[in-house]
Amino acid sequence: MSSDNRAEALEVKGLQVAYEQNGRRTTVLNSLDFHLGKGEILVLLGESGSGKSTIARAVTGMLPPSARIGGGSLRVGAERIPDLGKPGIPWERIRGRGIAMLFQDAQSALNPVMKIKDHFKESLLYHSLASAEEAAAISAAMLERLNFKDVRHILECYPFQLSGGMCQRICLALALCLEPAVLVADEPTSALDTVSQKEVLDLLRKLQREMGLTVLLITHDIAVANAVGNRVIVLNKGVIEEEGDTRTVLTRPASAYTRELLAARNRIARPAHGLPPAAGKPVLEIVRLSKTFGGKKRVLQQVDLTLNEREILGILGQSGCGKSTLAKCVAGLERPSEGRILLRGADIGHLKGKARRETSKRIQLVFQDARASLNPGRTALQLVQEPLHYLRIGGKEEREALAAYYLREVGIADEAQTRRPPQLSTGQCQRIAIARALVLRPDILICDEAVSALDMSVQAQILELLQRLQRQFGFAILMISHDIRVLRAFCHHIAVMSSGSFGERKQESGRLHESRQPHTQLLLKCAGDMEDGLV
Amino acid sequence: MKRRFNSKNPASLIVGVVVLAILAIAILGAPLLAPYDPVAQNAAERLEKPSEKHWLGTDRFGRDILSRTLHGGQTTLLSSLLALCAALAIGLLVGMAAGMFHGSALDHILMRIIDVLLAFPFMVFAMVIAGLFGTGLVHLLLAVVSVWWVSFARLTRSVVLHAKNETSYAAAKVLGASNLAIMRKELLPKAISPVLILATFELGTLILSIAALSFLGLGAQPPAPEWGSMLADGRAHFFQAPHILIGPAAFIVATVLAFNLIGEGLRDRLDPYEKLEL
Repeated sequence: MSSDNRAEALEVKGLQVAYEQNGRRTTVLNSLDFHLGKGEILVLLGESGSGKSTIARAVTGMLPPSARIGGGSLRVGAERIPDLGKPGIPWERIRGRGIAMLFQDAQSALNPVMKIKDHFKESLLYHSLASAEEAAAISAAMLERLNFKDVRHILECYPFQLSGGMCQRICLALALCLEPAVLVADEPTSALDTVSQKEVLDLLRKLQREMGLTVLLITHDIAVANAVGNRVIVLNKGVIEEEGDTRTVLTRPASAYTRELLAARNRIARPAHGLPPAAGKPVLEIVRLSKTFGGKKRVLQQVDLTLNEREILGILGQSGCGKSTLAKCVAGLERPSEGRILLRGADIGHLKGKARRETSKRIQLVFQDARASLNPGRTALQLVQEPLHYLRIGGKEEREALAAYYLREVGIADEAQTRRPPQLSTGQCQRIAIARALVLRPDILICDEAVSALDMSVQAQILELLQRLQRQFGFAILMISHDIRVLRAFCHHIAVMSSGSFGERKQESGRLHESRQPHTQLLLKCAGDMEDGLV
Repeated sequence: MKRRFNSKNPASLIVGVVVLAILAIAILGAPLLAPYDPVAQNAAERLEKPSEKHWLGTDRFGRDILSRTLHGGQTTLLSSLLALCAALAIGLLVGMAAGMFHGSALDHILMRIIDVLLAFPFMVFAMVIAGLFGTGLVHLLLAVVSVWWVSFARLTRSVVLHAKNETSYAAAKVLGASNLAIMRKELLPKAISPVLILATFELGTLILSIAALSFLGLGAQPPAPEWGSMLADGRAHFFQAPHILIGPAAFIVATVLAFNLIGEGLRDRLDPYEKLEL
């Protein structure tokens, strides 16, 4: 699709941005050029640290104070800014009508004490596009266009009464009311589950067709790029690796870096080594477990699940389905309201004090946000010794030796063992968290979205690591995720959770598609559609 | 993104420590440094302006203000520091316990005690204590401490409640940490810095409160010098001889300022997240 003969909606030339911290200057973008044709969806694809979000912030004038703009010009429709580095740019005029924005966390982008209709009113009146009476009609029409069903009810809601996906569609409606020349969307679907993600992306395509919407979409997710992009720019360390038609870039990549990205993704989709069979006695049995919060909100309803020795069991579910609550109950962080959790036949659901702490030796949990789960003031070596300290295992030398051993096992070399989390990458932090969980030699390792926050290549590495460790030490894994692809490749069995219960027993991961549950089929279809055409 | 003046600069800590060190030397060395006896009266030199003889002038009994200020600092500073430390310790303990066992009977009882103490006028409370046990500095400190821990307890509790929602708290629990270990290793370090910041601000109020109670005759007994009672003393002669106020006021300001700077500096050092900011 050539854009030469079309009018440009956005043009960026020679953009240079660096961050300055403690007198140290890190160049993020070095002389970057790109353009966006009218009615085009351009995807900026890159891993964390590639500078993709910096681009979004630079063209909307929202860079943090530590950023230094070395130069660069911007053109949005008729508005020209010859030098982005000079102060006095009329951003109020450009933002909203020229460039509208969509953020990752839609819920917090909306004002929690304002009803949805007031958001529309405020934005339309501010840009003097409508009177208060007209605003109501415009917003209702816009919501209808964005596939909302009960529009009148939605307009009277507060943001926290709506799901993340709905909030993101409302943000989209708000942005579109101003008829912007370009919509800049920074990871708009990363926080959403597969079904809502698909909904938002389909909507973008539909709006592009119907109203000629122009979108600059920033993402780390190849499937997202595949699902919406007309054109893709692959960004690596602030440099454009490759640019071109989506189909071509994602199926016949020209640059080595893009090939690497795609390979990392495929490594997750097809595990290099087959899984060893999971034959064993049940190690964990969950019997009719229910959890109610505050006396009314039922999060788990009569859940039954069995985890065998050496088994890798995936729990698949959308956000808010109760899968994390299940993990917390098993790990002893929440007390079940009803039902039993049997660890090798003994009920651990209602243990207290010392007895509960003893089960830590058997069940360990790895969190999604590795960095937040580690104390930033301690070195890797100290962090891994924490559980040994807490449970009074071994002497000083023994603890240190154990910690060093497990750190090496997870691939943290000796010289990195004395570093602290702020000096380590997110992937390294997750490795430390895994080492810390394994140092107690647990029977069960629960991974609560343990790879969701990581870059694709790091995700693959961590999953391979977990597989190797599982084979080596023989523990069972309870893998909780919203990502079908990860679970299908990684797990023996998968159980699909929706609204606090499993619709059917766990299935062999290779035969998930045979499930008759409509919810499972929907999840499979959404994931499949987004991957359509990818090798 | 949050930007604070001097956020990574140790200057505030250094300046604070230097000022406090100078003050401490002057105050602790008062018996050697003070030019006159702090309680010696001289009717011939009443309400004199600052001169070479009396650097900060004299009060209505002809006593040298500089000498009185230096000596008075010992009482004021030591007693308020003592009261602060005691209040801090109690406040941290109560706040941690209430936060850790949030929602339990213990939490409810502690919070209701705090509510009652907050609703009760502090001055009246102090007078009741003095009425029960008699006047004097020790009883005054007792009264101050028994009320002052409340604000620290409330702050500590709120920090603990916040920290309990963080992943690191859940992580420590999963790793088998006992409640005591969690409080000591995860919660206390998080509570310390905000509580210290509050303490530096509270110290100023504390000094003034001790002074006010001294003025009411509940604390240091005359003729013993004390910054607060000197201020109260000088107020009557403010228009005639404003210099009476300058000595103790300047010392109070300098002390409070020094503690504020130290608190600010400590916060930057204690908070590891600061270093991550872009």
